[in-house]
Amino acid sequence: MTITAQPETAAPRAPVLTLQRMMPALLLMPCLAWISFFFLLPLALMCWRSLTAEGFSLAAYSTLFTSALYAKVMLTTVKTASIATVLALSLAYPLAYALTLSGGKLRALILVFVLIPYWVDIIVRSFSWLILLGDNGIINKMLMTLGVVHTPLELLYNPFSVLVGMVQILLPLTTVILFGAMLRIDRTLIAAAKIHGAGGWQAFRTVFFPLSLPGVYGAALLVFVLSLGFYVTPALLGSPRETMIAQTIMVEANQLLDWEQASAAGFVLLVITTLIAAIYNRYFSLDRLWGGSDT
Amino acid sequence: MDQSAATTRTSGAQVRLRKLSKTYGTTAAVDDISLDVPAGVFVSLLGPSGSGKTTTLNLIAGFLTPDSGDILIDDRSVAEVPPHRRNIGMVFQSYSLFPHMTVADNVGFPLRMRSKLTRDEARKRIAEMLALVQLSHLETRYPRQLSGGQQQRVAMARALVSRPRLLLMDEPLGALDRKLREQMQAEIRHIHRSVGTTVVYVTHDQSEALTMSDVVVVMHHARIAQIGTPRQLYEAPASAFVADFLGDSNLLPGTIAAVDESGYAVKIGNGVFVHAAQSQLKFSAGERAYILIRPEDMTVHPAGSAQGDGPQSLAGDVTELSYHGDVFWLSVAVGQGLLKVKVAREQGGAFETGRPVRVSWSPNAARLLPLADDDLRAGERARS
Amino acid sequence: MSAAAARIGLGAAVTVILAYLIFPVVVVLAISFSSGNFLSFPPPGFSLRWYQAIAGDPEWVSALFVTLKVGSLAALLATLLGVPAAFALVRYVIPAKALLSALILCALVTPPVVTAISTYLFFVPLGLVNTIVGLACAHAVSGMPFVVINTAASLRSADRNLERAAIIHGAPPLWAIIRITLPIVSPGIIIGAILAFVHSAHELLIATFLLGGVGKPVAVKIWSGVQATSDPTIAAASAILIGLAILTFASVAAAQSLARRRSA
Repeated sequence: MTITAQPETAAPRAPVLTLQRMMPALLLMPCLAWISFFFLLPLALMCWRSLTAEGFSLAAYSTLFTSALYAKVMLTTVKTASIATVLALSLAYPLAYALTLSGGKLRALILVFVLIPYWVDIIVRSFSWLILLGDNGIINKMLMTLGVVHTPLELLYNPFSVLVGMVQILLPLTTVILFGAMLRIDRTLIAAAKIHGAGGWQAFRTVFFPLSLPGVYGAALLVFVLSLGFYVTPALLGSPRETMIAQTIMVEANQLLDWEQASAAGFVLLVITTLIAAIYNRYFSLDRLWGGSDT
Repeated sequence: MDQSAATTRTSGAQVRLRKLSKTYGTTAAVDDISLDVPAGVFVSLLGPSGSGKTTTLNLIAGFLTPDSGDILIDDRSVAEVPPHRRNIGMVFQSYSLFPHMTVADNVGFPLRMRSKLTRDEARKRIAEMLALVQLSHLETRYPRQLSGGQQQRVAMARALVSRPRLLLMDEPLGALDRKLREQMQAEIRHIHRSVGTTVVYVTHDQSEALTMSDVVVVMHHARIAQIGTPRQLYEAPASAFVADFLGDSNLLPGTIAAVDESGYAVKIGNGVFVHAAQSQLKFSAGERAYILIRPEDMTVHPAGSAQGDGPQSLAGDVTELSYHGDVFWLSVAVGQGLLKVKVAREQGGAFETGRPVRVSWSPNAARLLPLADDDLRAGERARS
Repeated sequence: MSAAAARIGLGAAVTVILAYLIFPVVVVLAISFSSGNFLSFPPPGFSLRWYQAIAGDPEWVSALFVTLKVGSLAALLATLLGVPAAFALVRYVIPAKALLSALILCALVTPPVVTAISTYLFFVPLGLVNTIVGLACAHAVSGMPFVVINTAASLRSADRNLERAAIIHGAPPLWAIIRITLPIVSPGIIIGAILAFVHSAHELLIATFLLGGVGKPVAVKIWSGVQATSDPTIAAASAILIGLAILTFASVAAAQSLARRRSA
């Protein structure tokens, strides 16, 4: 035998090609630099601005936390976003579940219906409810023709219309997230449940539903964060009573030109959303997108 | 060394790995591996998944950079040579044929990349390669139009077309069914003989490694457990791991009671002694060790018959009998555990479960192996 | 509950929810072809008059061009910056990868109004307000996650050994990436770029601050129209956006089926 495992002295390790070592940094640098300059720096500036009305002051924040207006708007925002999240999840769940059950053409068809609205402008989608839910809108006309009501129902400019608009906007994304989560559930587990005596509903309730819950929680966090920032829909379909925080910030900045106040409110909103996003990241690691951290 | 390797030694490359290590995080994928592959040899890296064989292959290819150590191809360090200049051919596990190129374009790819052949010469070379793998009639097809075996051959042709002196193969037959796999094994052997390239072949299939290779390197826990010809590894394994990984084995733990020229007397139970033959592995009295007996080396006799008495035998009861077509497998419960015994078809029919029997083997069939689970130490013992 | 009844129930629920999803889109499309003067549904008759009104109105035409310019530039920037980042994140072991990914993706969850005022405050001293380039630079940030996510997904599902096969058989690494890997990953890149474009075309708040005066993009123009007027021009403009959306959607579907055929 000429072949042996030879105990030899270690050859000094040649320096690794430096370009290769620098590669990830070189690839990431432009992207990170861009985000730092056009995103993080402006946010930092906004934070700074919120503290410097006339010299350094916390005035904007004390207004924020003492004024009844902000308290009310924040409450409305959180309430609206929570209800919208729950509604979007409960409508998206059957859609996503139907997607997992269906196959081939039916699945493609449902997906097209789910995704087309996603590609349509939020303003446009909100605007069409204005037409549909108005006093002369098709809903009221139909109800009056059928004799259900005699005077048009007030379907617009109330929490109902805001939620109808918001949920329709949130639904495609929610469905896609839930569908993705449900696809990861091993279908043979349902078969295993059934062969061991569970009926269809029992198999769903005891196996599929619990396994889908992590996906539901993840979707809930994301959808809630997005809901907090809604501007167009409540502005168009709501009354002043339904004003959400984004509208107030826009009014402060765009009409009252009170940049300190707008910045302060914006910063608080940023902190809240970042915290929720951080919780999301903690439990539903973003890393999964790149195939884990050890690729 | 195998004859076929000797005749083609001139055209293969010599590969040397020197103290090669690669770590991912805290786990060592390859831990201080040194290995000499002579020119023209077909060497298999064999081991369970996670043993470091694919990492070793990727280090040789240059897809991974070692943390320490060096790789020499024909006595030249390739540490500074990027993979595309290493002049290596490679067959990947899932073939990795370019989906947007025809068979001929796939095969011709290395020629376009590395050689200065004229168009006509290249065409001729591609035709030669396709003829070698018997696919001349499919050169205008696309990979997705081919069967798994055909794709495998295209991958072989592509890897060999530029006449590399080193060919790396990463579990190339893993995706094929058994019949086709055996046919491809023979073909790869044949092609290796006719081109004479040095081949480093990664597999987790022990029978594939035994039938195809001149030399097998058994890997375990990121290290080399043993190196040798297929026969050496099977007949003289240096550790329980190697014995168990290559083929089937019975491993009985025992204590060495006495040593002489003929071998060892090993106590495996209360008053039960068996004999084990001498080998390169040396043990002294009082040491604990495994006794290895291959199932096919054992014979089964009805209890009470005159045959098969003595220190090369054990008494027990048949607990299980299974039919495998060509052979019977018997499980025999002896006091020290279950023995697996392989019995020829014509004899196996004579036994049934619950029957007391005596199992015997020839004096040289029982060998001692180190008891420690630490196979690394066993590897070192083999070397010294 | 029997299995059949459960299925029928689910089917009915799904139909109602899908109708709710698609109804607003249908309504806007229908009204855009209305012959009437008011936003009423169902429309009294068919006409193309509101499309003609848009085509004849230089303000709408210029708005469309502004949107196209900003969107294309933003998508281009997002692609140029996002694709290398996706390569790095998928292919390399990088310290603090989780933090870096969060940084790249956080523009997605930051409330648009926050991004809008912070960008405006930042751009005023830089003189980037009222410029197409300025808006595109800002939109590139929020478009980047779409590019990075889709490119990374394609990269992960692509067989890395194809690139390795090219390299080991003599192709220089850069050649292999450009000629072997990029074509395989390209559907993902294209989808990401289209999504970044659509995101830019729909974005309202940053656009309001940066291009709210002269040279409004379509989204801003529609928004001011929606609040002020009540004739079907808005519907027609929206329908054009929907048309664009469906067109891009179809091209994405085409790109995806291309990807499937490639990987088959």
